[in-house]
Amino acid sequence: MSEAVQRKKTLPYIFMALGIVILIMPFFSGPYIQSIGRTVLTYMILAISWDMLIRSGQLSFGIAGFFGLGSYTAVLSAVNLSFGPFMSIIAAAVIAGAIAFLVGAVVLRLRGMYFAITTLALGELFKITIHNWHDFTGGPNGMLLPKLAFDGASIPTYAMMLVFALGIIALSEYFKKSKIHYALTAIRDNEIVAKSSGINIYKFLLIAFTITAAIQGAAGAGFAQLYGFVTPESSFNANYTLIPLAMALLGGMYSTWGPVIGAVVLGVLGEFLKLFIPYGHLVVYGIIIILVLLFMPQGIAGLVSKTLKKRGESYE
Amino acid sequence: MSKKLSALTIVLLFLLSMGSVFAGGQDDGDVKPIKFGGVWPLGDITGAQASKAAQLVVDELNANGGLLGRPVELIVIDSEFNPEKGAAAIERLATVDKVDFFVGGMSSGVHLGQIPTLKKYKKVTMWTGAASHVAENAVGSDQDWYFHLHPWDYNQGASYVEGWNDIAEKYPEISIKKWFLAYEEGPFGSASFEATKTLFADMQIDGEAFQSAAAGGGDYTAVLQRAKEYDPDVFIWAGYGADALPMMEQAKAVNFSPALFVGAPPGWPSDFGESKLAENVTLYGMWAPSLNIVSEMSKKFYGEYVTKYSEEPATYFAPLGYTSIDIIAKAVVIAGSVETDAVITALKEISYQSPLGETISFGPANVISNQGFRQQKILQWQDGVQQVIWPFEFATAKPTYPFESWK
Repeated sequence: MSEAVQRKKTLPYIFMALGIVILIMPFFSGPYIQSIGRTVLTYMILAISWDMLIRSGQLSFGIAGFFGLGSYTAVLSAVNLSFGPFMSIIAAAVIAGAIAFLVGAVVLRLRGMYFAITTLALGELFKITIHNWHDFTGGPNGMLLPKLAFDGASIPTYAMMLVFALGIIALSEYFKKSKIHYALTAIRDNEIVAKSSGINIYKFLLIAFTITAAIQGAAGAGFAQLYGFVTPESSFNANYTLIPLAMALLGGMYSTWGPVIGAVVLGVLGEFLKLFIPYGHLVVYGIIIILVLLFMPQGIAGLVSKTLKKRGESYE
Repeated sequence: MSKKLSALTIVLLFLLSMGSVFAGGQDDGDVKPIKFGGVWPLGDITGAQASKAAQLVVDELNANGGLLGRPVELIVIDSEFNPEKGAAAIERLATVDKVDFFVGGMSSGVHLGQIPTLKKYKKVTMWTGAASHVAENAVGSDQDWYFHLHPWDYNQGASYVEGWNDIAEKYPEISIKKWFLAYEEGPFGSASFEATKTLFADMQIDGEAFQSAAAGGGDYTAVLQRAKEYDPDVFIWAGYGADALPMMEQAKAVNFSPALFVGAPPGWPSDFGESKLAENVTLYGMWAPSLNIVSEMSKKFYGEYVTKYSEEPATYFAPLGYTSIDIIAKAVVIAGSVETDAVITALKEISYQSPLGETISFGPANVISNQGFRQQKILQWQDGVQQVIWPFEFATAKPTYPFESWK
């Protein structure tokens, strides 16, 4: 067996082992690392879901909108219907998915920047509605969750987010191997050719938009269950759109592992910089992102893949 | 292996090696320091100056032999105006740095995310920010370890009503019957408008929202034109520091000069007073350098701050940050221990002369048991200086009335 073939066989196992170590390490590292881990996993879920839709070529800026919608659904269902954590997360996914389906039925006729701006406006629409619906949502002051998931205990909440993230990774991988992936890729490459090949573009886009919005809503519900509150300003914060986007770009788009790598690297790097440069770490963080995007436009996963391909290997 | 991939491998190994940095606290030798853990938004002037002011007290304590013969340490972490980051900072301070006390705070949204973590550790906590009553509800009653310095939103509202009524009574020429509130469309501005409508229910009130410059807006001409047509006795804008100068410039451009021009941002740009447009603008706050005339503690704080940092404290969060450490340090001395129950008992009995002018002691608020400050002050820019015009016991100048027409 040649050395290259041998390496091709062992490399995935090395990456898998490294990934398992990174994911399991927080269980043995105390509440602080678990807290960072939960945040990284939340952004990882959002980054993967964003990437699942961009694989069709549709750029969505609506992550924060569905995330906030999910957060509010979780708290409102817990307050008004006494839903437990699990049920409230399911409810958030269903509501976000259902709204995405209804809205998507209309806006998925749009393409490119028109679609992107519409999704951005959608998030603002959710925020303004919740902001002004005082009696139901608490208005600008927001609402409190009566009881946190697992009473806020660090290990079970980290485990909850880990299971959630692993589920999304599995779903994304399934997506990549299903006919949906080929349809979405064909749409991204050339919509006219895809259509003439018999692909129902509208149907596949609607499926992708609904599923990714449901994931984002569930992630928002997870956030509410972890921190116990919602406010329009926090729950619909633009960071929930921008940071996952930066993570996917940095890690590498159109794959599951790119957003995963981007979330781990950016999440850990941000926290690390803060401890060493308390005043001004965000400037350094921003500069690093700009430099990486300038010199590694295909992201970290893209760079690894390119290097391995040069050596006659593939990382996939 | 290509150079880029080698570099990437090094970065990955570097990230993995960070585990020791995240997991390890600092070993300070034989004498274990008394540790304060501070969480403020360091990218904002409020958090940056509050943390610097807190460090002043720590330096002063260490220069005088420490606390109970032990050195004092302040570990500050940036909350980044982010609830998750703010909560993670509390986790780190509690479990990695193993601090004895928590201090910090500015935004209510961040604090809401931190409260479950604070409740987990129940260390003595002296909070300098978060005015929303929702945060007070989240803390709940029977949380004796929680001390809140900043007035709650309802405290602030009540003190504005009291202040304006006192001013109108003392200076009968000042009319406060007709109000117009221009408010930023976010939660801060909207809540201010709702609170003003409730508090001044017996007055004539109108208002309109604007998009703050801090949120990508900055065009106030429509709202200013509407206010001009309404012709109020009191015009208040509730936005952010970034709105201050453009608001005044555009008011001048549309020739809008109400009898009382009031600004109510949480923090002002440090150079706002240098602008001619600032003259006679009235504002709410808890502290201004002019208080040095009437408060020895304010003068002491101000002098130490300027000497150490060669800049003027421009926000009341600076003396609040100073107070947060100083008041705990005094309680530790009284208690003779850093043990939680002993410090709580000492804090409940303390009477503390603060650099904000007032002498405070802790007492019950609507929900929590340990509330410090309950009052805001009404100030006015006069010749580039923020003068206190109410409460009268701390007044450093009389109000200039009416706001001068634009020339």
